Amino acid sequence: MYPQSLTPVQQVDLAFIIIFGFSVFVLLVITAAMLWFVWRYHESRHPVPAQFSGNVPAEIAWTVIPSIIVMGLFYYGWEGYKALRTVPEGAMEIKVTARMWSWVFEYPGGKRGSVLVAPVDTPVKLRMTSVDVLHSLYVPAFRIKMDTVPGMETYAWFKADRPGEYDLLCAEYCGLKHANMITTVKVVDKAAFDAWLASTDAPGGKGRALMDTYGCISCHSLDGTPGVGPTFKDLYGAEREVALPDGTKRKVFADEGYLRRAFTDPNGELVVGYDPIMPSTEGMVPNEDMEQMLAWLMHGNEVGREEGRRLMEAEGCISCHSTDGSIIAGPSLKGLWNAPTTVLRDGKEQQVTADEVYLRAKIANAPSLGTVKGYDPMMPPYEHLTPEQLGAMVEYIKSLGEHAH
Amino acid sequence: MSADAHDHPNFFQPQPGTKGGIASWIFSTDHKRIGMLYLYCIVAMFLVGLTLGFLIRLELIAPGRTIMGPQTYNALFTLHGVVMIFLVVIPSIPAAFGNIFLPIQIGAEDVSFPRLNIFSWWLYVTGAVLAVVSLVTGKGAPDTGWTFYVPFSAVTTTNVDVAVVAVFILGFSSILTGLNFITTLHRLRAPGMTWTRLPLFCWSLYATGWIQVLATPVLGITVLLIFAERVLGVGLFDPSRGGDPILYQHLFWIYSHPAVYIMILPAMGVISEILPVFARKPIFGYKMIAFSSLAIAFAGSLVWAHHMFVSGMSDTAVMVFSFLTFVVAIPSAIKVFNWVSTLYKGSIRVEPPLWYALAFIFLFSIGGLTGLVLGSAGTDVHVHDTYFVVAHFHYVIFGGLGFGLFGAMHYWFPKVYGRMYDKRIANWSCLIAFVGFNILYFPMFIIGLQGMPRRYYDYLPKYAEGHFISTMGSWVLAAGLLLMFWNLWRGIRHGKPVGRNPWGAATLEWMVPSPPPHHNFDAEPVVTHGPYDYTGVKPDA
Repeated sequence: MYPQSLTPVQQVDLAFIIIFGFSVFVLLVITAAMLWFVWRYHESRHPVPAQFSGNVPAEIAWTVIPSIIVMGLFYYGWEGYKALRTVPEGAMEIKVTARMWSWVFEYPGGKRGSVLVAPVDTPVKLRMTSVDVLHSLYVPAFRIKMDTVPGMETYAWFKADRPGEYDLLCAEYCGLKHANMITTVKVVDKAAFDAWLASTDAPGGKGRALMDTYGCISCHSLDGTPGVGPTFKDLYGAEREVALPDGTKRKVFADEGYLRRAFTDPNGELVVGYDPIMPSTEGMVPNEDMEQMLAWLMHGNEVGREEGRRLMEAEGCISCHSTDGSIIAGPSLKGLWNAPTTVLRDGKEQQVTADEVYLRAKIANAPSLGTVKGYDPMMPPYEHLTPEQLGAMVEYIKSLGEHAH
Repeated sequence: MSADAHDHPNFFQPQPGTKGGIASWIFSTDHKRIGMLYLYCIVAMFLVGLTLGFLIRLELIAPGRTIMGPQTYNALFTLHGVVMIFLVVIPSIPAAFGNIFLPIQIGAEDVSFPRLNIFSWWLYVTGAVLAVVSLVTGKGAPDTGWTFYVPFSAVTTTNVDVAVVAVFILGFSSILTGLNFITTLHRLRAPGMTWTRLPLFCWSLYATGWIQVLATPVLGITVLLIFAERVLGVGLFDPSRGGDPILYQHLFWIYSHPAVYIMILPAMGVISEILPVFARKPIFGYKMIAFSSLAIAFAGSLVWAHHMFVSGMSDTAVMVFSFLTFVVAIPSAIKVFNWVSTLYKGSIRVEPPLWYALAFIFLFSIGGLTGLVLGSAGTDVHVHDTYFVVAHFHYVIFGGLGFGLFGAMHYWFPKVYGRMYDKRIANWSCLIAFVGFNILYFPMFIIGLQGMPRRYYDYLPKYAEGHFISTMGSWVLAAGLLLMFWNLWRGIRHGKPVGRNPWGAATLEWMVPSPPPHHNFDAEPVVTHGPYDYTGVKPDA
């Protein structure tokens, strides 16, 4: 045997073959002996039974020989296990987050998705955890399986030797839709993988393009770097200290009203620390374009329901929240927008409306908002989502129709 | 009934000077009546579990929804597990046939603590009732699987609280039975009934008793902790509060793996009784079989974490538990070799109990050998929590314990009722059940190796063929079992009366009338030969 030259899959399969071979042999011998004895020593053929009650050498033999054999089986099993646990140096790391009932894979560079994309012939280490209950990542084709445990990191690794699509299943029972917690490992060649990793999913949107057209971005950065004006990053809903023309200072939230005023009267409430140099858009920018830019500011760089839909699939939202009105584990997204909702919080009932503020807060940190009456408190927080992504999700929810009063 | 009935009323009849009626049963301290109470409850619960299993298979006949939704399905497989494990398999042979025959086999009048014995039955009934209550109260039937894994069992809003209380109470029933048997075997053996003349059925119950007494309290603690987690919010298993979900798995399996031996050891004891009787020859290697029961009980208590190779525990622990698991395979193998050798050069009478025993050996061998795949660390990773495991433990528990239990029913039936069932129908039902069993469970090995996870309400189309064949098998198996129960039921009422020793066995229960009288023996017997010494013993009639 040449263990060093075997892949983990081959190593494990070798153990399977050895154990099955031994087992079939033993089973055949036992069954054949049993049936032969019943026929050969039937009372009609063997009326007088022998009266011995044991045979010490035989018993020693079938104690010692199986003991040696099973130690051999143990060895091959352990070799297979070691191969599954020994990650080669320099393996690419992908973070895996499991939750009821979906998987999220995060690649180097921060790209996230619900399908595991991997380059061929490259060792990939999966660093896994769970945000709610136990799950187990299982890819039969790679012979790997490992539980994902909340509060703990586990790992598995594989190296796919052929491009293709392989099933990835949850193997640890996790409730209602355990059987649907299935996704795909998409193995592609290395060039395709790099191209995929470099591509952005953000389609932008018209508002983003207009910001370029009108030159806004030359003063207001998108990534948080300080510029002539305040950055657009995480602007919507943020608290800012502003100076009024009479010199008094006060705090405002960059809500829709403030942003509208900032377009038309940029220096009326000037953010402290910046000079009053921005021109008013009044008369320069058509109202329609301003609405687009405003929507983009409020609902993120990736404005648009398509992006929201993509995100909600990638983050696993739709495995609990249907889009067609049926109830899975949480309320359906269809007709959710502006729906009056009864929330149980600290043992009290509250009436809320599923508006933009509520939905954003609910998606980002569900546990802090209590539980919607009639459902179980099982939604985990999604604190990694940016305001833009939350906005896109809300856009998508809106597109599924308003609550019918 | 037999001619003996005129002199001594048998245990079915009221004792002289007392009235009969239901109270004389449910408050009886007679080990035989308690055993019968258990037997009927267990058969009833087995039929419930069988129906649940049948419905599960029906749902899985094709991908997608067939007869029920996912929540119902999840509750059904949980119940199937809870009912079968805690209400059928764990009590089965010890509580029913152990109670009826252990005292008689050692020449005793009763068990050591008869009142504790009836109390344990009442605990069993209480637990069973609570398990049923958990279905219809609260926010829906438990949907956690019989293993109650945290954190899911701590967060689900279904009625887990009542179910774990039921399991807690059932645990005490099991502990008391084990305690009673150990004490009885130590203190109440008849003169001449040395440890090496003890029937192997008693030896197996002795080993089982120790596991029941030592391991079951851990289960009690574990389910209490789930209760504390849910009701008091202790956070022992909750990582966000410093707890550890893997700790739960250790606690659970410290009981639940040895529990597998609580299930299988008594069945092995039954097989060790049946084979020599029908081979007309002493059992091969009596001491090794008795010793291997104790070895299994001991080593089997040290292998629990082989259920946890992919749980996230350390690789060193995986190696140690994998190794110990292979060690525990050895005494099981010794038993199988000794049983087969018992047939060698016998003078074999082929009767229904022997067919069940042979079916046991075949099915248990498959179950045991596939256990090697699961004990081996590298291969376990692939098949863990797949249908391979489902197939493996049904081969061990149903093929092993189940067929052992059916064998015990057919073997001791004439002793209990004083009548004989229709042997031809008994043979046919054994064959039909055996064939159905293999059609049902063998395809599961294959789809498990192909990667079909267990506890799936729905599945990918590539597993459809295996599931379809499996469901077909469930119909054949159910038909065989219903035929078997119908045949036994008819035998109770219309069977041909038999005498004391229709099989020509040499253990003490066959020396007393059929059915046995209230006090078993007129005078304390004196034992002068071993349990499998057939010289001069002939089957009557």
